[in-house]
Amino acid sequence: MQSFIAALLNSLDIAMLLFIIAVGLNIIFGVLNIINFAHGGLYMLGAYFTYTLVTRLDLPFWPLLLLAPLAVAAIAVAMERLVLRRVYGRHVTDSLLLTFALLLIIDESVRMIWGSGIHTVRPPESLSGNISFAGVSYPSYSLFVMVAGVVLLAALWALFNRTRIGRIVRAAAIDRDMAQTVGINVPLVVTGVFAFGAWLAAVGGVVAAPARAIDPGMGDRIIIESFIVVVIGGLGSFPGALLGALVLGLIHGFGGRYLPEVNLVLPYIGMALVLLLRPQGLLGREAAA
Amino acid sequence: MARSRIRLPLAGAAAALTLSLAGLTAPAQAQQPVRLGAIYIMSGSASVYGQFAQQGIQLAVDEINAKGGILGRKVEFRIEDSQGKADVAIQAARKLVFQDRVDALIGIDSSGVATGLVPVMRELRRPLIITHAATPDATGKLCNRYTFRISVNVNQNMKGAALVAAETGGKRWTTIGPDYAFGHQSWEYFGKYLKEIKPDVELMKETAFPRFGNEDFTPFINSIMAAKPDGVLISVWGGDLVNFVRQARNLGFFDRGMHILMNVGAATEVLSALREEMPEGVWLGTRYWFNAHDNEMNNAFVEAYLERYNTPPSYNAEGAYAAVYAVKAAMEKAGSADPEKVAKALSGLTFRAPNGEITFRKGDNQAVVGPTWGQAAAMNAEYGIRMLDPVRTFKGEEVTPSVEETGCKL
Repeated sequence: MQSFIAALLNSLDIAMLLFIIAVGLNIIFGVLNIINFAHGGLYMLGAYFTYTLVTRLDLPFWPLLLLAPLAVAAIAVAMERLVLRRVYGRHVTDSLLLTFALLLIIDESVRMIWGSGIHTVRPPESLSGNISFAGVSYPSYSLFVMVAGVVLLAALWALFNRTRIGRIVRAAAIDRDMAQTVGINVPLVVTGVFAFGAWLAAVGGVVAAPARAIDPGMGDRIIIESFIVVVIGGLGSFPGALLGALVLGLIHGFGGRYLPEVNLVLPYIGMALVLLLRPQGLLGREAAA
Repeated sequence: MARSRIRLPLAGAAAALTLSLAGLTAPAQAQQPVRLGAIYIMSGSASVYGQFAQQGIQLAVDEINAKGGILGRKVEFRIEDSQGKADVAIQAARKLVFQDRVDALIGIDSSGVATGLVPVMRELRRPLIITHAATPDATGKLCNRYTFRISVNVNQNMKGAALVAAETGGKRWTTIGPDYAFGHQSWEYFGKYLKEIKPDVELMKETAFPRFGNEDFTPFINSIMAAKPDGVLISVWGGDLVNFVRQARNLGFFDRGMHILMNVGAATEVLSALREEMPEGVWLGTRYWFNAHDNEMNNAFVEAYLERYNTPPSYNAEGAYAAVYAVKAAMEKAGSADPEKVAKALSGLTFRAPNGEITFRKGDNQAVVGPTWGQAAAMNAEYGIRMLDPVRTFKGEEVTPSVEETGCKL
């Protein structure tokens, strides 16, 4: 029973971080219709900013949860205005190639600025211990990751369903031309959504920083995992990001614990099954004809 | 008129070219630099290993050039990124040999890359000195007359690990390692040697092989803790090892009195990331430890390295640095940079490296060297890493299996 609870907690911990990253990917796809490879790079920037500010400049961790992602969002505004804007309306492969190039540029810039070394960030003092939960001792920082994921989930749901901004964004996602016609400043919405997605990626980076090694490969690793989440859950679907993250989290958490021999292929088997049986993803919409 | 003016210098150039091709090749070539090609991981999460190697090569090349080069010729080097992938490394090697016309190759960070590249050396016909990749196959069943290894391989490192493990008194052993050649072969050889030394040990069925680049090791750590071993061999390396140690700490893995041996734990790349978080008392293995060798060359190397890069040399820096000096010694012995002659000279060559007098054994071209194992001790504030104490360097003869055992037929 204890090992089951430990595996469950671990699954949720992995799932919540993946959710934070994948939901940004999905929001961006929903409005901009691009698959943003650079998302992994933006996540990495969030983690590296945290490293510089916490480990180097000795700033407290908590304000960074807001500050570092805002800096990344500002970078994202420049990316959208200067580069991405030029490929809207073209085939989706163009934007895929373009954002992949942006990921490579971010990767190399990170290596040039911070070097290729491996860095770590200490969790804040209040979260550096362990908490006992149903007979299982679990790192309190991991519990914080879960709480952060749930809070973000609730906030996002409220934002998209209960606010005027959310309705505007949904309108722009459903039909850009119609939104424009009724007086919505669509280009502004598009920039805002991209920056917001980047902000989410960077929040993921800040949250991940005290838990994971910070190195120039971290962006590439998370983007692959996030794509698996998105394929399983459904591209562009908000609840799909949550479901996909939970499925992949459970695969990692329980697969690693009970099926170590096949753990390696399980995520891909899951992805292949979804693609075969429900190509649009578990909660994805049918592709328009 | 204008036309003939242009033609005249052209004709002159053509004549000069013909002349030089006909008779002046030899003196012209003597002025040519000796070219070295290096292949390391230069991008992605393990790029810190490539960076250290590059610094080691740069230091050696600058030292050699300051003292007149090799055979009176300047030394140049060019470094290519393997991305840790065999196919990329093979392409890089072809480019270095056929396009950049290098005289010798050094490098290779991963066992997977080594098993891909080593067989291609017969086609490339250049000596290759491996400075990091540890798979026994490179100087075992895949061996060939162009491939040499200056660094400790899995057999040598695991023989040292088994000797350390035998002394701990632990009876039940298991492993956590990356799910590719390195993780599996380390466990295989560790088990084999430990059984030979202490036949009553138990090699447990409950092992864990997470994927390389896995970021959450918690499920694997929990499995191993639930199996209650006396000792654990950990072959996870690089950023993965940093993640592993921090997560294992959180879960109380190091508080259970288990004997812990980290296969490549004394990599300065990892120690400087973990700092105090590397638990005291665990056994850390490495191919080279900067203050475990008291000899003139090592003292000078460490001092120069610290001076220039502000950090002590990692094992990868030392391997690359030593390889450049091995190439120099071989070219001087051969009296030429001709690849065939240099490969011949390298086989059986004895030369000086920071970790002592080293010989490439004639039978399999593996350097007869031993690993250093030590227990994580107090922090060194200046370098920001834990030091090793006690520290134990095994003699090459003590840990190197016979040529027959390696399966190499040259």
